[in-house]
Amino acid sequence: MIKTFTRKKIFVMAMLMIFAFALLIARLSYLMVAKSEYYLQKAEALHDRERSIKAKRGIIYDRNGVELAGNKPVCSVSVIHSQITDEDKVVEALCQILSLEEETVRKKVQANTIREKIKSNVDKAVADKLRELHLDGVMIDEDYKRYYPYNSLASKVLGFTGSDNQGIVGLEVEYEEVLSGTPGSILTLTDAYGIEIPNEAESRIEPIPGNNLYTSIDVNIQKYAEQAAAKVLKAKQAKRVSVVLMNPQNGEIYAMVNVPEYNLNEPYTLVHVEDLYTKQAEEETESVLKENTEETTEKEKEKSWEEMTEKERQDALNNMWRNFCINDTYEPGSTFKVVTATAALEENVVKLDDTFHCPGFRIVEDRRIRCHKKGGHGTETFKEGIMNSCNPVFMDVGARVGVSNMYKNYAKLGLFERTGVDLPGEASSIMHKQENVKAVELATMSFGQSFQITPLQLLRAASAVVNGGTLVTPHFGMYATDETGKRTKTFEYTVKENAIRKETSETMKELLEAVVAGGSGSKGQVAGYRVGGKTATSEKLPRGTGKYISSFMGFAPADNPQIIGIILIDEPVGVYYGGTIAAPVMSEMFSNILPYLGIEADYKEGEQEVMAVDFEDTVE
Amino acid sequence: MAERRPTPHNRRRRRKKITMFFKSSFYDYTLLFVVLFLVIFGLVMVYSTSSYTAEMKMGSATYYLVRQAIFAVLGTAAMLLIARMDYHWVRKFSVLIMIAVIFLLILVLIIGKSENGAVRWLQIGSIRFQPSEVAKIGIILFTAHMATVKSARIGDFKIMLKVVFVPMIAIALIALENLSTAIICSAITLMIVFVTSPKVKQFLVIGLCVVGLMGIFLMVASYRLERIKIWLNPEKYEKGYQTLQALYAIGSGGIFGKGLGQSIQKLGFIPESHNDMIFSVICEELGLFGAICVVALFVILIWRCVMIAMSAPDLYGALIVVGVVTHIAVQVIINIAVVTNSIPPTGVPLPFISYGGTALACLLAELGLVLSVARQIRMPKEY
Repeated sequence: MIKTFTRKKIFVMAMLMIFAFALLIARLSYLMVAKSEYYLQKAEALHDRERSIKAKRGIIYDRNGVELAGNKPVCSVSVIHSQITDEDKVVEALCQILSLEEETVRKKVQANTIREKIKSNVDKAVADKLRELHLDGVMIDEDYKRYYPYNSLASKVLGFTGSDNQGIVGLEVEYEEVLSGTPGSILTLTDAYGIEIPNEAESRIEPIPGNNLYTSIDVNIQKYAEQAAAKVLKAKQAKRVSVVLMNPQNGEIYAMVNVPEYNLNEPYTLVHVEDLYTKQAEEETESVLKENTEETTEKEKEKSWEEMTEKERQDALNNMWRNFCINDTYEPGSTFKVVTATAALEENVVKLDDTFHCPGFRIVEDRRIRCHKKGGHGTETFKEGIMNSCNPVFMDVGARVGVSNMYKNYAKLGLFERTGVDLPGEASSIMHKQENVKAVELATMSFGQSFQITPLQLLRAASAVVNGGTLVTPHFGMYATDETGKRTKTFEYTVKENAIRKETSETMKELLEAVVAGGSGSKGQVAGYRVGGKTATSEKLPRGTGKYISSFMGFAPADNPQIIGIILIDEPVGVYYGGTIAAPVMSEMFSNILPYLGIEADYKEGEQEVMAVDFEDTVE
Repeated sequence: MAERRPTPHNRRRRRKKITMFFKSSFYDYTLLFVVLFLVIFGLVMVYSTSSYTAEMKMGSATYYLVRQAIFAVLGTAAMLLIARMDYHWVRKFSVLIMIAVIFLLILVLIIGKSENGAVRWLQIGSIRFQPSEVAKIGIILFTAHMATVKSARIGDFKIMLKVVFVPMIAIALIALENLSTAIICSAITLMIVFVTSPKVKQFLVIGLCVVGLMGIFLMVASYRLERIKIWLNPEKYEKGYQTLQALYAIGSGGIFGKGLGQSIQKLGFIPESHNDMIFSVICEELGLFGAICVVALFVILIWRCVMIAMSAPDLYGALIVVGVVTHIAVQVIINIAVVTNSIPPTGVPLPFISYGGTALACLLAELGLVLSVARQIRMPKEY
């Protein structure tokens, strides 16, 4: 038997051990109850990897559901540093297949981040090549890239998106919230090497695709207007041709053209307007020759692009993306006489048969302001004054209205405010301060000089003048739908009714129809339709450089306008009168668009005969 | 081999005892059950902690499980065999075993295989083993033998020093490469002597000296000091990673745990989670409840051992059990204290559960000795 003290000591030993165990259990309880939340959170932060799933961007449709901006499947390539086994091989493959510089790729590959993006918007075929190599640590994710099926169609209206599918200019940025949707995310558990754990329940938040946007654009009208604009651009070697076609009753814009347009799928490729002049000619020449010329022009273009500094390049691109119709102001010139005449009728200071005299100029204070017709129009009624676009008549009418009433009417027609069009970067008008307007300023303003507005502002004012006096908001966005086609939002725009009196509007329609029927806008006539309109030839600032903007504002049918349009030819070469070069383009567009819109022609006797003959010709 | 060999001078009494022994032979089934349960639970946890990384690195999820299972089977067989033997017979080889142990410890310093910087392995053919694990058995048997021989005069400090002299040489050799094992061996030696000696005061002094020396040692060895800093603030040091990961695992277990096999921390976050840090994964998967259950199993095991020691037929048997129980208890305490960051980090496996074949087999052999002692308990009045 062992001694008693030995037993006691064994018992002491046991007590010491149990005491230590008790302490450890206390420590464990503290860690696993009191500190549990703290460590759990830290551990989860370590295990969870969040991967966002891009939401599909909404499609932009025209008014008839034709896709203007859609999505094309592409891939984005990224690397996970901790999973890379053969760094050199990965770098080499990435450089070769994605044609990137080694230095930047290596830096990204070595970056010890969770996930480093190498390149996005990689073509699926290219990504598949990379996928076939089965490189550890290289992740290829399916993605969508914005794709514009019509390339350059309405480029300055639609705009384009950046590398993260975010809108950069145009409707893409204006309707970013509608189109972008909400990105989803996948929360996955990963092990210490960053590898996702299969079969672990992952929490996935589905992305909500963006809404589709239905615009008022009509692809056919837009296309036709672009063709017509490009034709006159080439014919007149102009710097730029802009066209806006709108429904004057509600402000829905059918087409907005600014040639040269740029390719939305390659928005960073500079377009040279000179290339458009020769394009047609090239197409006519033999294919071999054509290739040669194209090659040379390509080289010249590249050279000039490379010569530019970074800032110059950015400026050039910004300039290319500009939408002249809303981003820039100009002196409207004679088309603005519509506003002056409206003001005079609103204020009852003139009747259609009031007579005026035009000696070819008018002396206002110390200035001698010329009429465009050197010899003068002689004695003429107010109506004839509009038809002739006679400056002295309008100077007199303007003087009769007076400064404050003139400004009151400008305000009624929305000339001091932005039109509210749903495009970013709209410019405001540049007007004299009312208190600074003296006789000379009033006189020049009466025929559209010494201030600047945007073409769209003029079109909006003119719409109010011809639609019975309702000031509409020009716009593109009509409604948004979700994936299933259910309408989620209908866009509403402010409408100011009775901005001007109905009688004034009726009179103005008659007057403007007369301008086209027998005045300076006669080339704007369209067989079978009653067209109203006004021409303008504005000399660009600074004066005397021989640079003009020739424009024509027209609408049809004159008694109940369904379409109103403006065309501006910037710096035409040769003949620059709006009535001569701009009006025929509008006439050509109207003659096609009016039947397309379902407005039936009502031929007068002479026109009918012509048509009948044409018809017989075709039958034979 | 299992024959008991009674010494000549007490042959007659022995013979009488042998018959008694066989008639009312006592076998501590409770202890056997607790040990086997711990071994099987250990295999489950080794599989749970190692399967993912084993699959990735070794290509087989059961790589570690199979190896551990082989040692578990061999160890259990050895345990049952040793339990059948008379521990007095084993006592004859105490000195021989001790010499062999010191020889192996020197050998490992010369031709040992290193792992994680420290030389701890001996490789013979395809078999690798850790002499320091075998040393624990050697030290238990030898110190118990010496203490029994000198039991009458062990109160004398000089005599006591003579008893511990040889074990101290072995401990010093171990300490060169593996401080934590040296500490465990010291604790075993000290506890055996403490139990044998009628004195109390000198052990209090020794205890204070050990604590003081440890403090000085920690102050002097700068890399140990760094360990202290890491221990106090594991989040601020890169080397605190392992400790921190263990804490994450323990903390995220909560009261009921994530469920068996559901640990995330074992997926490479805790390096070698099937080794020394296995208890943190037990906490993560089975929660505070599971952790306390495991601790309770060890407490039962220790309690059974203590009971056997107190009822042992002779001092030698009691001292063997004291040595074994100290070995197990100290290792469990250090292991859990390390994973819970209660003491500065050091590598000590959790007995029966952590991966490690030599350690498991040796532990089972030691338990065999304890069972052998238990079998010789006489059952009358006391028990």
